[in-house]
Amino acid sequence: MPDAHADQDWRAWFAEHGARLRLIARQWTRSEADADDVLQEAFVRFWKHQRHLPGNPNALVVTSIRRSALDLLRRGDRRAAREKVVGDDMDTVTWFEPEADPRLAALADSLKLLPAEQREVVVLKVWGDLTFDEIGDQLSISPNTAASRWRYAMEALRKHITARTHD
Amino acid sequence: MTDPDHDIAEALASLRPRPPGTAVTARLARELDASANRRGVIIAWSAGLSALAAAFGAAFVFLGGAVEPEAPAYQLVRVEQSRPDVQFFRPVQMEDGSFARPVRVRWQDTTRWEDARSNTRLINYRPNDQLTLLPLETN
Repeated sequence: MPDAHADQDWRAWFAEHGARLRLIARQWTRSEADADDVLQEAFVRFWKHQRHLPGNPNALVVTSIRRSALDLLRRGDRRAAREKVVGDDMDTVTWFEPEADPRLAALADSLKLLPAEQREVVVLKVWGDLTFDEIGDQLSISPNTAASRWRYAMEALRKHITARTHD
Repeated sequence: MTDPDHDIAEALASLRPRPPGTAVTARLARELDASANRRGVIIAWSAGLSALAAAFGAAFVFLGGAVEPEAPAYQLVRVEQSRPDVQFFRPVQMEDGSFARPVRVRWQDTTRWEDARSNTRLINYRPNDQLTLLPLETN
């Protein structure tokens, strides 16, 4: 089968998109280290088996990340003891570079307060660059449900930021 | 019509996710290099074996041996992964008191080879079925 992306420099592609892909991995994992592991495994799996496929590679890489994250969660049962010690650093480690603008910093903090099902739609839409149709495919939900979760998330973020601004 | 969420979405997009660490980038580079090298070795071996087979074939024909019908030479033409079928089950409580939702994910990998000369196909269907637990956050 001909390689649809034969001229693609995949290292350069990863350098350009690695940060947002890592964020996608991060919101489906319990720790920074897990996010790195998932990202590495997912990208290598994509590179070995799917890089020659036609179309936009972005959605394939996101699918691969989700699959790796689910695999890791499944394996997670076997390392429960370590998880208890390490704990979930969801609330203590920043997902973003520090922001000087307090409104942006508040927004970054507020993202973690969203319910997981809304947060993953936001992350996939903003940083995954996916449409609601594609998000629906990823999460096995209808595009309307994805759009609905997006609207609820936007509303919640607006409330969080407003509350923080008034504090 | 204006999108009321546009300002929030625009602000979100201006946040800068932390890039992967240098350790990840280095590990990835090593992995890609190793895979490329392994592929190079396989191609080199394949080329060498092909040349050897051609030499034996030519000698056989030259010596007047009967030519057997050649076995199909399958070429990989397509690898597909079906859309995953995800089933969510009722949440369960874990030993540490946290809650998790069992999720069953099923999909199928299909690999297809073809031999243009004999116009034959070889298709491998591999069903996958995984059961996993998604941690639920509680406030």
